[in-house]
Amino acid sequence: MRRHLGIIFVLALSFSSLAAALSQDQPSIDELKKTAVKVYLDCDSCDVEYIKTEITFVNYVRDRLEAQVHILITTQTTGGGGREYTLNFMGQNDLKGTNDIQKYFSTTTDTSDDIRRGLVKALKMGLLSYVGKTPIARRITVAYLPPDKAGPGRDHWNFWVFSLTGSGYFSGEKSYKDQNADFSFSANRVTPATKVRLGLSLDTSKTKYDIEDEIVTGTKSSWDGSGLFVKSLGEHWSAGVFLEAGSSLYSNIDLGLSAAPALEYNAFPYSQSTRRQLRFLYKLTVNPVKYREETIYGKTRETLFQESLSATLDLREKWGTVSVSASGSHYFHDFSKNQLDLFGIINLNLYKGLSVFVLYGRSWIHDQLSLLGREPTFEEQLLRLRELPRTSDYFVSIGFQFTFGSIFTNVINPRFGSSGSGGMSIHIN
Amino acid sequence: MNKHVSAAAALLVALVALAVLPSGAQTPPAKPAGPPQALLKVFLDWPGADIGFFRAEIPFVEFVPVLGEALVRALVTPQGPPGNESFAVEFSGLKEFQGDDNTLTYAPAPGDKPEDVSKGLAGLIKIGLMRYVAKTPAAKFVSVNFQDLVKPTSVVDKWDFWVFNLSASSFLMGETQYKDSSYYGSFSASRVTPELKIRTSVYGNLSKSWFDFGDDIYESSSHGYGFSGLVVKSLGKHWSAGAFLSVESSTYSNLKFSVTAAPAVEYNLFPYSESTKRQFRVLYRIGYTGTRYNEETVYFKTTESLLRESLSFAYEVKRPWGMASLNLVGSNYIHDFSKNRIELGGEVSFRVWRGLSFEVGGSYAKIRDQIALPRGGASYEEVLLRQRQLATGYQYSFSVGLNFTFGSTRSNVVNPRFGNGGQSISISM
Repeated sequence: MRRHLGIIFVLALSFSSLAAALSQDQPSIDELKKTAVKVYLDCDSCDVEYIKTEITFVNYVRDRLEAQVHILITTQTTGGGGREYTLNFMGQNDLKGTNDIQKYFSTTTDTSDDIRRGLVKALKMGLLSYVGKTPIARRITVAYLPPDKAGPGRDHWNFWVFSLTGSGYFSGEKSYKDQNADFSFSANRVTPATKVRLGLSLDTSKTKYDIEDEIVTGTKSSWDGSGLFVKSLGEHWSAGVFLEAGSSLYSNIDLGLSAAPALEYNAFPYSQSTRRQLRFLYKLTVNPVKYREETIYGKTRETLFQESLSATLDLREKWGTVSVSASGSHYFHDFSKNQLDLFGIINLNLYKGLSVFVLYGRSWIHDQLSLLGREPTFEEQLLRLRELPRTSDYFVSIGFQFTFGSIFTNVINPRFGSSGSGGMSIHIN
Repeated sequence: MNKHVSAAAALLVALVALAVLPSGAQTPPAKPAGPPQALLKVFLDWPGADIGFFRAEIPFVEFVPVLGEALVRALVTPQGPPGNESFAVEFSGLKEFQGDDNTLTYAPAPGDKPEDVSKGLAGLIKIGLMRYVAKTPAAKFVSVNFQDLVKPTSVVDKWDFWVFNLSASSFLMGETQYKDSSYYGSFSASRVTPELKIRTSVYGNLSKSWFDFGDDIYESSSHGYGFSGLVVKSLGKHWSAGAFLSVESSTYSNLKFSVTAAPAVEYNLFPYSESTKRQFRVLYRIGYTGTRYNEETVYFKTTESLLRESLSFAYEVKRPWGMASLNLVGSNYIHDFSKNRIELGGEVSFRVWRGLSFEVGGSYAKIRDQIALPRGGASYEEVLLRQRQLATGYQYSFSVGLNFTFGSTRSNVVNPRFGNGGQSISISM
């Protein structure tokens, strides 16, 4: 027994001296982590907890100015209906000047696990340019497993992508029931030179209230078919046609058709569109329409001509997001039948944990040609089942957020659930 | 038999090694035997380097003999006395990688053997090349791995992981016959480490709506405020213990003032470290609540103090095929076991085949514990606008969706002309 103890003692002693020797030559991993690159992850649509669990060789901070690398991730829809993730790596503070852009593409039917794994891989590969400058880099290995045979076949679909979607939603309790169903089909062909989008969608919903044995039912239904053809004319100009056919109970339209040739100018090159756009779109529309019930102007059918102009500015920068647009339109048979819309959203990451946002929208409406000739019922008004006369509408939202304290956000602790702390948040796609 | 197999395996390994290292010895580069793999062409600018060694170590790029063919130049400059030198590696992008430059340095630890130094240097070159390799087809077969497990708290943090947040926001909207406004504010303080989780917050909200029915105007308002706190202590890989504390006032729920304190324990069948991939948590909680009601309840109470217990099961899994979750919660009051509720909810999203995905979700609740319902009931308008909790014995929701996409697989094209099908904004409170 005593001998055993002695051996253990000697072993322990030699281990501790070994550990001491190791720590003298090479700093421990916890020491290396302290000097790891500080990263600010600027992404609305990422599974952040997963990223932090999978990539542990950097430190995550909650303020962009504290970071050595600011990673801004923006997304755009691809021709196949998937997403293009653009990862902008921007070196800051002592790593200023080292910049990189990586991309990751997802498809429509990628599962959320496919997407988060793909993003983690793109993040790791991009991060190594910075991690290579810190001592923790020597603990990272790169492995390569080439395939036996590579090279996908030809694309015999010639860039056409088709998609069918159907969904239903039902909910209820004793005095309230709600049923919704929708179906859509789309066929798209997107190349850098031309864009064709064809779509068909159907929507229906029914809400039932039981109030003191009286049953109030609200129904909404609509269908819509649309087509868009666009031809690219250089880095700044595009020309195309919008086509549409549809029906809507809410808007009192039995059948509306429209065809609109259009021209667009982008002040920034289209190749920068994920970060900045300033687009002007002019549209000339011819619109034959048949109403469900006689309108307030005594019409049951008519053919309308309309022109519209819109301007949109979208910016996505380190310091925040700006999206502002204005559009105006009028009918040719009566210039006083017109509409003007303004919309703006500004979200700024100001200084050291302070961020503010403003959301604003306002419309001046003088072109409700499809309004019901009769007075809507009380339920139609309260449940907003029918379009009501109005001359303007608006919404405004203002908020701020100030965070202070620890800058590190490395820790994930899933115990008792990861519930949010409340508050209001806004996401723009 | 066994011997034969191992001999065959050894032969196979040798063959693979030969195939991977076409010019393992320092012979002039042979013509690549297989199909021309689109590997990144790199010029290693280091006269006298053992190029064969780097070819073997870094098989996912092609080392070319002249600068003219290369897309990346890696200039290695030894610094310091021979035998104890460090190396600066200057990566410069050429042609389409023009401008993608970076410099990394490798300093061997004192006493490293020459082969360790070469290995370490090759490791660093791999890391530096990754940003370019990520943009070639070979990226698919490369993986980046971190060799250590490191604590996320290994950082220098003067705030000791405390984070404070102050936020406020407002949302206003309206049109000619309808107006709606809401305001929200909160302050939170939290500290999350793997051993202990503390979350506290105070919040308040107010919302108002206004309808004009021509001859009649309807106005309503509702508000709520409160405090919520959570403390959780980690007890190993599977167990946690903690307590919930909350103070609440809400017009929707007929609560003037309500205080709850509830200790709880949780068991996770899987280790918590796997929680972004799978978790199966069982939580038991017993709580004491003291309440003062706004209006007398259906049980003729204006104040009461009650004990209530609950048991919940939460299963969640996220895998390449999709994800699934299932929740079951049961609770009852201790003074009267017949006052209870059971809620069951689940969600599955599943990729059936390459382009086909399927989603289904639903929930059902059996409710026998609405002890806070006011005797006075709710008005017709309050029912339609869902501003009051109503008497019900059950609540359900069900949704189902299917998406089928087929066609081109080369559809990663982004064409932003004429917009990408509109932008979406979501606001959550």
